[in-house]
Amino acid sequence: MRVGLSPVFAATVCALMFSATARAEDPIQIGASLPLTGTAAFFGQHSRWGAELAVAEANAAGGVLGRQIALDPQDNRCNPTEAVKSVSQMLSDKKDVAILDGLCSSAILAMMPLVERAEVPLVVANGTATAIVDKSGAGGNKWVFKVNPSDGSLADALVGYLVEHEKDKAAKIAVLGEDTDFGRGGAQALDAALGKFGMKLASSDFYQQGTPDFTAVFTKLRSEKPSMIAVYAVGADVQNIARQYVSFGVGIPFTGRLLTDLVPPEIMASGALDGSVVAQAYAPEVDTPANHAFVDAFTKKFGKPPNLLSREGYEAACVVIDAIKRAGQADPAAIRDALEKTDLTSILGAQIKFDDHHLAHDYAVILTVKGGKVVIAALNKT
Amino acid sequence: MDFATLLQLLINGLVLGVIYALIAIGLALIFGVIEIVNFAHGELYMLGAVAAYFLTMNLGIGFWASIALVTIGAFGVGIVLYELLLAPLAGQGFERSILLTLGLSMVLQNGAMFLLTSTPRLETTPYSYRFLVLGDARVPLLRLFALILALVAFGAVYVTLHHTRTGKAMRGVAQNRAAALMVGIDPRAAARLAVAIGVGLSGLAGAALAPVYSVHPVMGFAFVFKAFAVIIIGGLGNILGAAISAVSLGIVESIAGGFLPPAFVDAIAFIAMILILLLRPQGLFGRGVRV
Repeated sequence: MRVGLSPVFAATVCALMFSATARAEDPIQIGASLPLTGTAAFFGQHSRWGAELAVAEANAAGGVLGRQIALDPQDNRCNPTEAVKSVSQMLSDKKDVAILDGLCSSAILAMMPLVERAEVPLVVANGTATAIVDKSGAGGNKWVFKVNPSDGSLADALVGYLVEHEKDKAAKIAVLGEDTDFGRGGAQALDAALGKFGMKLASSDFYQQGTPDFTAVFTKLRSEKPSMIAVYAVGADVQNIARQYVSFGVGIPFTGRLLTDLVPPEIMASGALDGSVVAQAYAPEVDTPANHAFVDAFTKKFGKPPNLLSREGYEAACVVIDAIKRAGQADPAAIRDALEKTDLTSILGAQIKFDDHHLAHDYAVILTVKGGKVVIAALNKT
Repeated sequence: MDFATLLQLLINGLVLGVIYALIAIGLALIFGVIEIVNFAHGELYMLGAVAAYFLTMNLGIGFWASIALVTIGAFGVGIVLYELLLAPLAGQGFERSILLTLGLSMVLQNGAMFLLTSTPRLETTPYSYRFLVLGDARVPLLRLFALILALVAFGAVYVTLHHTRTGKAMRGVAQNRAAALMVGIDPRAAARLAVAIGVGLSGLAGAALAPVYSVHPVMGFAFVFKAFAVIIIGGLGNILGAAISAVSLGIVESIAGGFLPPAFVDAIAFIAMILILLLRPQGLFGRGVRV
């Protein structure tokens, strides 16, 4: 028996050594739960591309801790149940050292308890619901960090701009938003921001994501004559809203989070949306060297210009990669600790530092539409 | 609410209802003749819209020509669909047809996602932002065209079914397949034609609505679920019932949309469907007059 044990022991040691070597050479894997199918897939695709660009740049520069980085994107269909399923799979595989995104606020809120239990950092790139911030950091989930501004921050910046420049337009704003945490959270945040100036929303209408027809709600809004219509919509819904808005001659300026880059160019150029004022976390036209470099690199790699989601995916991935580097090890707890000490300059030029609720305070880009063109009116710190 | 707003809501509802009818009639016809609920109907509508988009925006073919080409193409797809997938199912149980059409729906939707990506597209035509003014109300021209096309299509289907030998053969197969066979009707040919017309109508709907609604791989979802509710309310397989239910639903939804939040409006069709299933399972117009 003693003779037989030695070769077995040696083989086991060799196998362990080989496995340890293989692990050291394996890429460091970052999970990403995104809508890759379903109504928000267009946005998920852009967020994924943004993260892929950040990973490609890091790998081209030699990787992190002597290893390459790999992205592990999983589909959540912008659905909380699917998001839980995708993140549970990532957590049970124990390969992802951090998880990016969720994209849709409802999906992110469903993912948050899972990452807290598993003690893996979740870095939110795109979801904007203020509830995510309220539940993170001090007194809440210390594993969740949010790189992009929340609806509350964006609404404050938007209302601040309107009150300063076009106060009469802020007096009677109606909301048209999707019936999700994004839409409802956006409306609540806007109402709260207006409340700081003694105003409130005139009305709120929420529709099911993917609704194709907005004729009834536009007819109603046209008769109610609000000063502006605050839109909280994504994907194809934006196109349907924009086209039906013009077809029915609604003629009331938009505000809120209307994604101007999804509005068909002929509608924008027609001047039908002139007078609209919206707040976004990004516009490709922002004039900083880092943004120009990002737009060029993104367009070269994917053949399409970046949008808000691509930039947020990129920025969030950069934050995670930077944290891994500073942590000195690919360990979720060490990465979480490093995330708390993040101090990076965003491509818009603001410092990315997380506050007590793990929210970074980047710029809000205030966009106005004048003469059929989208113009950057202000960059307001959130 | 003033009269102008009410008139606008009524006109919107009429157009929306006829759009529902255009999609629902094909579904009702297919069920009426071969007793298969086509869960891929929404994806066939989507393919019609995608084809029309590429014909107009990439190949420069005109709006009307694209509608004609897509409708003819969809008719052909219907024949292939019947011969390859649906005919072999004859007499093999309801659950098989559900699984097959559901599977087809997933393949078509995800195939479109893979090939075309999820980027939403808008077909632009010379009529895109033109409209007709009726008093204080306005009707976008493209919606008016969809309304006219739907009425013409419905009229053609109705005349075919009630005043031609081929249509009478389809109705015969729908009412009693064995008896139809005994009097010399070829059930397979009648069923093939019914599927071809049903799919052709979904292609027509897709092509007519491509410049009205955003074109993307999951665009069929919203309309086809309404269409399911419509054919259940009207009486499964009853084409006239489906048409009347669809137009009524469009008008009710639009008028309610003037008072209620959109999320409640969406529930109207399904609440009506549940009530019908509980109180009158055969539908408002019954199954006795199928097809």
